[in-house]
Amino acid sequence: MTDLLWLAALVALPTAVALASYVRFDVERLRTLSVAAAIAMLLTALFVARSPALRDLSIRTDALSWAPGGDAVIRLNTLSAVLLPFAAALWLLTVAVTPRAALDRGGLRRAALATLVTLASFLTESPVVLLMLSVASVWTFLSALGDPAHARQRRIVWAYLGFSTLMLAIGVAILVSPGVRHPAIEAAGLWLIVVAALVRKGIVPFHAWVPEVFDHGRLGPAILFSAPQLGAYITVVLIVPRASPEMLRLIALLALGTAVYGAALALVQRSARRACGYLFMSQSALVMAGLDCTSVTALAGGLVVWLSAGLAFGGLARCVLVLEARRGRLDLDTYHGGYERTPLLAISFLAMGLACTGFPGTLGFVGQELLVDGAVDLFPVMGFAIVIASALTGLAVLRMYFSLFCGRQDALAHSTLRFGLTRREAWTFVALVIALVAFGLAPRPLVDSRFAASSEILRLRDARLRSTP
Amino acid sequence: MTPLAWLVLVGVGSPAALFAILAAASLIAPAAPPLRRPFTARREQWTARIAGAFIAASFVALSLAIAVNGSATRLLSYGDWSASREGGIAIEFLVDRLSLAFAALSAAICGVVSAFSNRYLHRERGYNRYFVLLAMFVTGMLLVALAGNVAVLFIGWELVGLSSALLVGFFHERPAPVSNALRVLSVYRISDAAMLSAAVMLRSIAGTDSLALLFSGGIGAVSTVGLTETSATIIAVLLIVAVAGKSALLPFSSWLPRAMEGPTPSSAVYYGSLSIHAGCFLLLRSAPLLEHAAGARIFAGALGLATAIFAAIATRVQSDVKSSLAFAALTQVGIIIVEISLGWYTLAFIHIVGHACFRLLQFLSAPNVLHDLHGMEDAIGDRPHAPSWTERLLSERVRRRVFLVALERGFLDSILDRVIVGPFTSIARRLSNIDRRLCNAVMPGDD
Repeated sequence: MTDLLWLAALVALPTAVALASYVRFDVERLRTLSVAAAIAMLLTALFVARSPALRDLSIRTDALSWAPGGDAVIRLNTLSAVLLPFAAALWLLTVAVTPRAALDRGGLRRAALATLVTLASFLTESPVVLLMLSVASVWTFLSALGDPAHARQRRIVWAYLGFSTLMLAIGVAILVSPGVRHPAIEAAGLWLIVVAALVRKGIVPFHAWVPEVFDHGRLGPAILFSAPQLGAYITVVLIVPRASPEMLRLIALLALGTAVYGAALALVQRSARRACGYLFMSQSALVMAGLDCTSVTALAGGLVVWLSAGLAFGGLARCVLVLEARRGRLDLDTYHGGYERTPLLAISFLAMGLACTGFPGTLGFVGQELLVDGAVDLFPVMGFAIVIASALTGLAVLRMYFSLFCGRQDALAHSTLRFGLTRREAWTFVALVIALVAFGLAPRPLVDSRFAASSEILRLRDARLRSTP
Repeated sequence: MTPLAWLVLVGVGSPAALFAILAAASLIAPAAPPLRRPFTARREQWTARIAGAFIAASFVALSLAIAVNGSATRLLSYGDWSASREGGIAIEFLVDRLSLAFAALSAAICGVVSAFSNRYLHRERGYNRYFVLLAMFVTGMLLVALAGNVAVLFIGWELVGLSSALLVGFFHERPAPVSNALRVLSVYRISDAAMLSAAVMLRSIAGTDSLALLFSGGIGAVSTVGLTETSATIIAVLLIVAVAGKSALLPFSSWLPRAMEGPTPSSAVYYGSLSIHAGCFLLLRSAPLLEHAAGARIFAGALGLATAIFAAIATRVQSDVKSSLAFAALTQVGIIIVEISLGWYTLAFIHIVGHACFRLLQFLSAPNVLHDLHGMEDAIGDRPHAPSWTERLLSERVRRRVFLVALERGFLDSILDRVIVGPFTSIARRLSNIDRRLCNAVMPGDD
């Protein structure tokens, strides 16, 4: 019962903010409330993640599935326990550093709802519930693109993510329906779920919507939609336990290609936003590649990269958003300068970019090392692809850093204008960088928990494959 | 832990702690109003003192470690760092006379440069940033010198590379240092990728990422870990590519003059003294592997010889003293690589140590020498000139051609642009356009 109370507290916080957004508060007061709720949620989620007693909760029902024993509609285990603070941290990052110009009541409500959906998704293993939450998250994202200026991007997202959701719906229907027990039909259903996950994660050849939405859509909602990587969760919960080794290998190959492709294209972009889009594709693909390995170490590496890439990429893209609020749209073909005016933003951008590339001393390094180390015996090509992707990502990040903060005496606008970060923004970035470095320098508790989760996932996979005729 | 393990830990840990302290101060100070004060001369003094103390502690600990260790070869393991089960990253240092001597040399040289930089960069914007990057560099060099496995070696290699690129772009309010820093980093990333690929192959073929067997076990060890001559040659060639990138061997030499944009003390420690020799040191450590790969040895020797000849010519026509010294240093690096490929390992190590110290002195005294030379020229009203051996031996036409090639630094920049950068950018931009068109096809409308 205590377990459920803790989970209820987690769910209540974003719900309360979403409800408060209907009260006629001043937007800044609503933001303060959101920040307080996000900090409270982060602390609660950290407590849940650290508490062994709360880490094995399962509520099953056969109302949503014909599988024997039903499905776990609420499931808190080693995998999801760490994902809860991750979702809370992303919410905190969103509400704490979104520039005032891009902030409105609807945006804060959507951020709370998106967090609620992410949280609920990480707490279930039921395909039907995951499908419903996937629809809800796409709807939240689409509602952020509701204004006429983003009509085209809305249609693009609608086309791609609508297709993804449709595939997921058909796949889940096949998976849970009682009459279908033929292996070929089950495999077809699984392939549809795979396609849905690939589209959602922007894996080549289903990727074109990602850079487009980052470039011309609204960057804030795009980050909040992408960074938690619900596609990765769908992969771990629905695909990995059921897929054949050949299917996993094909997904991993596509993901590796995307990791290199995204990093290479991020390097030549003229728009900072579009470069962020390609960087996200590359990072997200690395996670996918790790998740589709049947090695405990590589899967643990994928799970670590999931967290590090989500936080580091979320922070990096937020830096771009904060900078855009001060300087307008950012072009990477010219030098913008301004390091001396916003040193903290520059240092944070560099640190988070380096965490994305897997630079030593950050959490990204630990994840990528595990990924390479675990995959190299089963799949040597993965090692080389990660090496190339990491090298290109490093160059792309440094190019962005030099262009956005260096190469010019001072920033473009008048010297009397205030360019520095607000205290809230400054401390949020400092906290994020410290978290990425602290987990990078002392990764053992986190990595051990990811090893435990990875072993559990592969144990379930083996059990399921053995029980399949 | 044994006393030796403690000494090595203090030796490597001191600059790492210095880096952590200075980097944390740089991150937190702009966010905390009481700390957001101008960087006064007093704070400069404190930064320099702290840096000096930490680097001195590192040097003393490593010197004592040399005395304690004697001529033994030991693998010091500090346990699994990233996970409490198999598959995590282990912290291991391979300690012998070669590695400890190179580590102590690195600490000593960085200590000298730290003391010199205190006055040289007095009241310079970015004073603290410089010391952060210097601390990062010392940590990286010590890890490269003492690495016992691939992960530790790679951590050091990356720290050296990033600090180098950021110091090239130290005067980041001007566009030239920044674009040169990016160019330097591009070559370093090729070097990193080659080294990691070698590590992946080693892991895939031999099933180990430990360097202890390869670096200290002799030729027998290479066979022990299951490397055939072909696989050993492939791994050795990848290592040579990594070394070529880091030590500016051909065809990557063009980044070296670009790297001179940084402050003189950093140019001295990186491109005159330590970083440029890091590749030579790695090759020296990999001697057992090279012994097993005759083709790779010939390749390394040819590369070293070609680089030495090219750099010896290029250094004669450089119009600034730092570039001239950098190419002179590269000439010696080329010769050291030839020595290693011939199997003259002791000579190569003595050459590395002697050259690192000598070139450091030349770089650091270059501004004063230049100042004196200008004074002398002003006094005598002419530039002293004596015909060189090239003037006596080569015809005017040949000299003119060689001069042009040397002045353009072998046209290496334009060749790399044409062969690698241009096609890569063109293909990537085309793919990006295809992505846009794909979106237009899905949803027609204005982009």
